Amino acid sequence: MPNKQLYSFVSTDLSLGEASFRPSLPLNLVHQQNSVTVSGLLDTGASVNVIPYLAGIELGYIWEQQTTSLNLTGNLSQYEARVVLIQAIVGEFKPVKLVFTWTQATHVPIILGQVNFFMEFDVCFYRSACQFSVSSPHSVS
Amino acid sequence: MVSAELISTLKNLNRSDKFQIMQILISELAEQEIDLIRSDQDYPVWSPYDAVEAANTMLKVLKTAKNQDNA
Repeated sequence: MPNKQLYSFVSTDLSLGEASFRPSLPLNLVHQQNSVTVSGLLDTGASVNVIPYLAGIELGYIWEQQTTSLNLTGNLSQYEARVVLIQAIVGEFKPVKLVFTWTQATHVPIILGQVNFFMEFDVCFYRSACQFSVSSPHSVS
Repeated sequence: MVSAELISTLKNLNRSDKFQIMQILISELAEQEIDLIRSDQDYPVWSPYDAVEAANTMLKVLKTAKNQDNA
């Protein structure tokens, strides 16, 4: 089990130059028999993880069956939101259970925030080198 | 698109010239940054900051699920 994995920032639009680079983490999300590979934006300012509506549908979640409602802040406050628990696999770390706000917004990125991505993983940003490292305090032997 | 010829020329520069080229490019990039944010456009910020109530609700759901897993 690795202690630390290094990733590169990803450009969202090369024409925007240096400002377009984002710490985007590839991860697998698993729910029942469904598995999707996605990129999550590492957002240390976000209180919570967020998954957009269509990604939740792709994983097989049914909106009406998610009974815990939430109210979000900022641009997402205008959309209904529910809580979903998703198994997540990051690199070669052992799978973790992440809790997401499943929003009805469709054009929002997958956001990895304080609850609970940053409770499960430690992240160091090296912005000048356009890299970041991810480690899991729970997988230290 | 950067041509192979240009890359080859750059690779053949001496160390001092490479530093000079790098400084020129960094200055160019820094100047371009100023033009990226335009006053007539919207730039949505999706980050749900200060969503403390939502975060606490999610933590309760997570704790309940973990307790059920361990039962």
